[in-house]
Amino acid sequence: MIREHGYSHWDGQFIERRLPWWPITRLNLKLAFRKKHFRPVYAFSFMPAFFFIVAIYISERIEDFQFIMRGGRAVLFEINPNFFKNYLASDFLLFMLILIMVFAAAGLIADDFRFNALTFYFSRPLRKRDYLLGKAAVIAFFVLSLTAIPAILFIFIKILFAGNFSLLKNYPWLPLSIIGYSLFLTFFYCIYALFLSCLSRHSRYVSVMIFAVYVFSDFLYGFFYNWFRQPFLLLLSLKHNLQQVAAFAFGVKPAQPVPWFWSFLVLGLFCLLAGYLIIRKIRAVEVIR
Amino acid sequence: MKVEVSHLHFSYGSIKALDDVSLSLEGGATGLLGPNGAGKTTLIKILLGFLRPEKGEGRVLGFDILHEPRKIRQLVGYMPEDDCFLPGMDAVTFTAFFGELAGMPRQEAMKRAHEVLFYVGLGEARYRLLETYSAGMRQRLKLAQALVHDPQLLFLDEPTSNLDPQGRMEILELIKDLANGKGIQILLSSHILSDIEMVCEHVIILNRGKVVAQGKIKDLKTMNFRLYELKIKGEREKWLAELAARGCQSEVTEDGLIRLYLPAEINPREIFMAAFKTGVQIRHFKPSQYTLEDFFARAVGVD
Repeated sequence: MIREHGYSHWDGQFIERRLPWWPITRLNLKLAFRKKHFRPVYAFSFMPAFFFIVAIYISERIEDFQFIMRGGRAVLFEINPNFFKNYLASDFLLFMLILIMVFAAAGLIADDFRFNALTFYFSRPLRKRDYLLGKAAVIAFFVLSLTAIPAILFIFIKILFAGNFSLLKNYPWLPLSIIGYSLFLTFFYCIYALFLSCLSRHSRYVSVMIFAVYVFSDFLYGFFYNWFRQPFLLLLSLKHNLQQVAAFAFGVKPAQPVPWFWSFLVLGLFCLLAGYLIIRKIRAVEVIR
Repeated sequence: MKVEVSHLHFSYGSIKALDDVSLSLEGGATGLLGPNGAGKTTLIKILLGFLRPEKGEGRVLGFDILHEPRKIRQLVGYMPEDDCFLPGMDAVTFTAFFGELAGMPRQEAMKRAHEVLFYVGLGEARYRLLETYSAGMRQRLKLAQALVHDPQLLFLDEPTSNLDPQGRMEILELIKDLANGKGIQILLSSHILSDIEMVCEHVIILNRGKVVAQGKIKDLKTMNFRLYELKIKGEREKWLAELAARGCQSEVTEDGLIRLYLPAEINPREIFMAAFKTGVQIRHFKPSQYTLEDFFARAVGVD
């Protein structure tokens, strides 16, 4: 006899959760922070935010910092939509987001496949969309914490340092641009990471794929661009497509003379296809016909 | 009726997994018995709403399996056959997590997780990482997650697979305890006859997707037949043909032992009369116990 206690019934009541996916998100966030090396990587991702806050401070104390203004560097300290675009679509931030996906998102679905956990999830009153939302919310947390939250914070800090609302008066749509582009980035990273996570049962392979697809798409663009010198080749690069959309969102001139909607279309098609495949792959049971 | 299905059909491509299955479960523990590939797991997955039957309908705890699977899953506990867990977690977090997903408030799910882990004998190991658990411990963990939300009905799919004899006995003891007076109805799927005999009062035998028998184990074991074991000298085939003509069925084991199934209305004297007629000497004659194994073998048509 191995029982240590007798069986007792639970006399509580089930509750109807407004967000049935929240326990999944909470648990996976907890597991992500427990991962080796994840916390330093996540903390390091806030470095650009720190430098941009310093830049906002300098922009308000420009006379005190004349010594660094030589050579037309003053443009770096102009707080305008381009400043926010530079933060949200910087190579470094987009790359750090990929690194965060490598650590925190690779195993989100792959581990459930590997350890047959999907059966457990779906033996609960959980819909497929609750499961996917729970997983996507983990990615959304990390992406938004590095995009929308710091960018909105920049606005507050600018208002605080300036002592006036001139930034919002000049660019009243700026908060909407920040939120809109951050949500777009979040959506893309969620689909990107979840799609790759459901392609393998091994999170290590998924980590490699998350990293490799992003880097390789950029490499491909660089390779062909050097060869053909056609700006439309940027459509091959995930990073450049994201930056083109950012330029549109903040109303600034894009780096390449390619209409933003082509990039949006490429990313949209990728998300549609990936989303369809995710939905097809997630099942409570493997049905082989 | 807690479970009632009628005329269920399901195929995996050209392979018929369930073919016109109709059954109902009463209270207590019911065994779902059948050889591998009989359709046991498919049936459980249909009852949980994981698979949609091509034809047929059913109700579990009063809810429609086609339209209300989420309500069913809230009230049913399911212990799958596969080895499943979530890496990087301890048993308390794991069990409480699935309690929460079932709709329990967080604090209560945590409290209840401790209780069920103690119940299944994992009390001391409840803070250990699941990766370090043995096969037996993982099996008990699967049972704990199935019990955490105090289900009215428990589906156990091959709960003793991959266990050593001691681990198997421990799990069966737990299931037996749950089946006795705890108010939880159990559907135990297994291809191991002794497991079903030990725990269940009722049995449903599936073979090639069809229900070949269902009822109380006690009734099935005693119905219609008396069993005798014999050894003979003489022309066995002729004698068996004579007995078959009189309505007896037989099987010959590998060591030459003949097992005779006598319908209730036939007098055992017929055996000797047939032997006299065919010139066979009976060297060994012993009334035998008709086991579930015998019934199962006859029902699914194997030795």
